[in-house]
Amino acid sequence: MTKPIFRSAAVVLVLALSVSCLAHLSRAKRYYADGQDQARASMTERAVASWKRAVEEAGRECRRKPSAQAFMVKGLAETNLGRWREAEASFLKAFSLGFNDGQAWASDAALSGLAASFEELGLETPALRIYGQILDKSDFKPALMIAAEKRTNLVLARVADLDPAEKTRTLAGLTKTLDRLIDKDFACGLYHYLHAQADAHLGDLRRSYEEAVMARELGLPSEKIGRDNDNGLVYCYIRLKDSLPTAERDALTAAQAGWARKWGWRDDRTPAWKKE
Amino acid sequence: MAKKEVEAALARGVELLSELLPLKSWLFFPILYAACVWAVRRVFDYRERILAWQVWLDPDFVRTKPDDFVLDFFRGNDALGREYAEEIARRDLRALRAAFPALYCVIGLEDAFLKALFKAEIEAADYRAVVVEFAARTAKARDDIRPAAADPAFWNALERVGREAASLGLHLLEDEEVQDMIVALIKGPVGLGPSIPPEA
Repeated sequence: MTKPIFRSAAVVLVLALSVSCLAHLSRAKRYYADGQDQARASMTERAVASWKRAVEEAGRECRRKPSAQAFMVKGLAETNLGRWREAEASFLKAFSLGFNDGQAWASDAALSGLAASFEELGLETPALRIYGQILDKSDFKPALMIAAEKRTNLVLARVADLDPAEKTRTLAGLTKTLDRLIDKDFACGLYHYLHAQADAHLGDLRRSYEEAVMARELGLPSEKIGRDNDNGLVYCYIRLKDSLPTAERDALTAAQAGWARKWGWRDDRTPAWKKE
Repeated sequence: MAKKEVEAALARGVELLSELLPLKSWLFFPILYAACVWAVRRVFDYRERILAWQVWLDPDFVRTKPDDFVLDFFRGNDALGREYAEEIARRDLRALRAAFPALYCVIGLEDAFLKALFKAEIEAADYRAVVVEFAARTAKARDDIRPAAADPAFWNALERVGREAASLGLHLLEDEEVQDMIVALIKGPVGLGPSIPPEA
């Protein structure tokens, strides 16, 4: 009589543990996906909170029932939080458990962490070299996005001090890299935003405006970048409008009015988030 | 009258925070305001939101803008245009670029936490004070909030204050009204010491 009771209890226990493990992993995945959605919707703080929860849940799953999938989710969330060392360790673990891309992702996470450390120490040249290497060789999107953003910011912060010829050459190299990234992943709003920044430096306001519109439509990784993109878009729009012949100006004004309506702006130059 | 009850709830919040953030009352304002606003909007991850402002404090892109963008930013805002009229007329980009990182974060990007942190200066149109104070005050805010944030009592107190204010009709008041109420409480007779900037 007691044997069947023990057997049933054991089955219930195993079931409960499996469900609990499954719950951790599925919760981790859900939090990670929520974070991605929130980041795309410019809800940065909420995205950060979701990724932190994803790390916690995936961590619990990794302790209870280590699997390539659990370590991969953990590593992805850590990557989004800029926790490079932890991400590298998670991807290596995922690789050892059968996730083939884990080793390459671990190496990209390690390189990103190294570049970030160089940058923090003010060593911009080696940081730029590493970001360039990631952009040339990596297929890991989170590392590519970080490297593209960091490299663009470092290059643009330097161009103000360059002589005109060197500035043109440097910006041409940067836009070539960004063009390549956009060709590979046209739907990534961040690449269009970065292109718009470089175009503004080149004085190509039309391209800058178009890229900023595209970036807004495709979504950006943080609220601050979204707001900066809006400011850049309005800056280009106003200057472009002033410089165009009447017919083209009217077409641009009509187009911008249409976008402004779609985005819920107060008028053609005032995003909804602006207080004044 | 909801307003009086809300005011009393906020006063208790200031008292509670004064125990957890001693002598740093200027930091009370953005924290308390954030907790109240988010309580009204039923945002439950207020803790992450309060901490996350530090993550995006000084974005890299601020230093990457072309000269014309920087000039346009100062010209495009009436109050900034008046304050920096001489620099704009001289096209003194060295001076304007030096002021840009602080002012673009606070005014250009309208960062809610930073706007609250520099409310007094913005209201007095003292933009040069924002520039001078920016690095020190944001660093201090970051340092001050760290130990408090590690204390569960801090978050419990905030949650309690936010919920109480929300239940008493905070939503019936205008944002500006709530902000002024908190500033008055911080500057008022709560006995918190001389920690709010003197011009506030």
